[in-house]
Amino acid sequence: MNKEETLLDHMEREGLSRRTFLKYCASLASLMALPPTAAAAMAEALGKAKRPSVIWLPFQECTGCTESLTRSHTPSVEGMIFDMISLDYQETLMAAAGHQAEEALHNAMKDNYGKYVLIVDGSVATGLNGAYSCIAGRSNLDLLKEAAQGAAAIVALGSCAAFGGIPKANPNPTGAVAVSDIIKDKPIVNISGCPPIPVVITGVLAHYLTFGTLPELDKLGRPKAFYGETIHDRCYRRPFYDQGKFAKTFDDEGARKGWCLFELGCKGPVTYNACATTKWNDSTSFPIESGHGCIGCSEPDFWDAGGFYKALSTPANPLKYVGAAAAVGVAAGAAVSVANRASKNAAMAAHEKTQLTDLEK
Amino acid sequence: MRSPINEIPIHVLSPDLMLTGQAEAVLSEVSDLLGRLLETGEEGSIDLRSLPLSPADRDWLDERLGRGEVEIALEAGGRSDIYETAYAGVWKVTHRDTEGRVVAEFIEVSHVPAIVKPAGADIENAHERLQSDLKQITQEGNER
Repeated sequence: MNKEETLLDHMEREGLSRRTFLKYCASLASLMALPPTAAAAMAEALGKAKRPSVIWLPFQECTGCTESLTRSHTPSVEGMIFDMISLDYQETLMAAAGHQAEEALHNAMKDNYGKYVLIVDGSVATGLNGAYSCIAGRSNLDLLKEAAQGAAAIVALGSCAAFGGIPKANPNPTGAVAVSDIIKDKPIVNISGCPPIPVVITGVLAHYLTFGTLPELDKLGRPKAFYGETIHDRCYRRPFYDQGKFAKTFDDEGARKGWCLFELGCKGPVTYNACATTKWNDSTSFPIESGHGCIGCSEPDFWDAGGFYKALSTPANPLKYVGAAAAVGVAAGAAVSVANRASKNAAMAAHEKTQLTDLEK
Repeated sequence: MRSPINEIPIHVLSPDLMLTGQAEAVLSEVSDLLGRLLETGEEGSIDLRSLPLSPADRDWLDERLGRGEVEIALEAGGRSDIYETAYAGVWKVTHRDTEGRVVAEFIEVSHVPAIVKPAGADIENAHERLQSDLKQITQEGNER
């Protein structure tokens, strides 16, 4: 597809019908949390859109974000989106390597200066002048600064790029920071999650294509359409929370009946993401549906938030109260309940409640 | 040695117990939308995937809505199943991708679901194509 062709022209040339396109828009509107009636308006705008150049730079990352995106729904909605953008540089997916790859990057940056969308996954190492993470002999820090100059917008993909993520976890040996800590003069969208939900990134790109602007963002720079509500608010187990029905261990009667996992450390109430509705693995389920609480991976510093199996109403620092029991707790179900009970007792004694701010510090 | 999955000693209870009562609320919204369709002709739609329904809730809803007389299968970038429920004007629309995965699910309240109606431009296109096909057929007939 050449860049001057509109999406509808392209789809027609590929033999895709208008209904296919409408259907695609209906599913996009659904995932962007737009009213179903918005699909028609979207179809009209998207049909006229032209394919933007996208440059994707990987920094301190595990490639989980790329895995998430590429393993999902190919070749359906995501596949279509890839026909709709011109992915000009992506190390994991591109055929070119070495000097050819570097040339592709520089050509894409030069040819589309001021117009390309820059996607970054992974955090940026700042320690030792960025020497902890280099590509082709240049530090991520340098590359980011250069690539950001000509970008129309930047998408910080995954919790590492958005908030520093796992590399930034205590004690942060590489001096890892988020993209937004380095770049201050460009619009940045944070698509957090470890990994983020694949359709969220295609949704953001579709929004950019449809409306020519970036979607509305929350205070942490995340698109409100996907991060506007907590996992808890959209969880199908929420009614059990409201009724005060909780699983106390991973194998008790409550767990079997599918009751709320709050007391088993679910971070759903303070985690903003679309897992509960968009779901994972081709919409099969999401962690809570599989019987495990949310670990809050789309929130800043989730790794240091004080234990995945500690209920939110218990103190954030387990070692301060229950010592070794909490450390062993993650190893076995039985131990979890012991640790949790112990930490809950400690919490009651200490009269401390974990708030959202504790999770975010 | 790996043991068969049904030997795992944890048995999940019947999904009937996971009814949350939220499907009833959906049903009453459908009723409102149907009233609006009658009064003003305005079509409505409920995005089922954006609602926190348990699998049992969904089954309950499907059962309650029942099935009417019309069924439509749409092949467009994967199969879509559309059927009228036992309530006239209330349609269940399930879009699947090319690999059969559900990508969107709606309850649509309308005379005919929007995606079923052909677009004006497509009808125009079809008319032109049919005319040119006819011309060719006549031409071939003349040559014979």
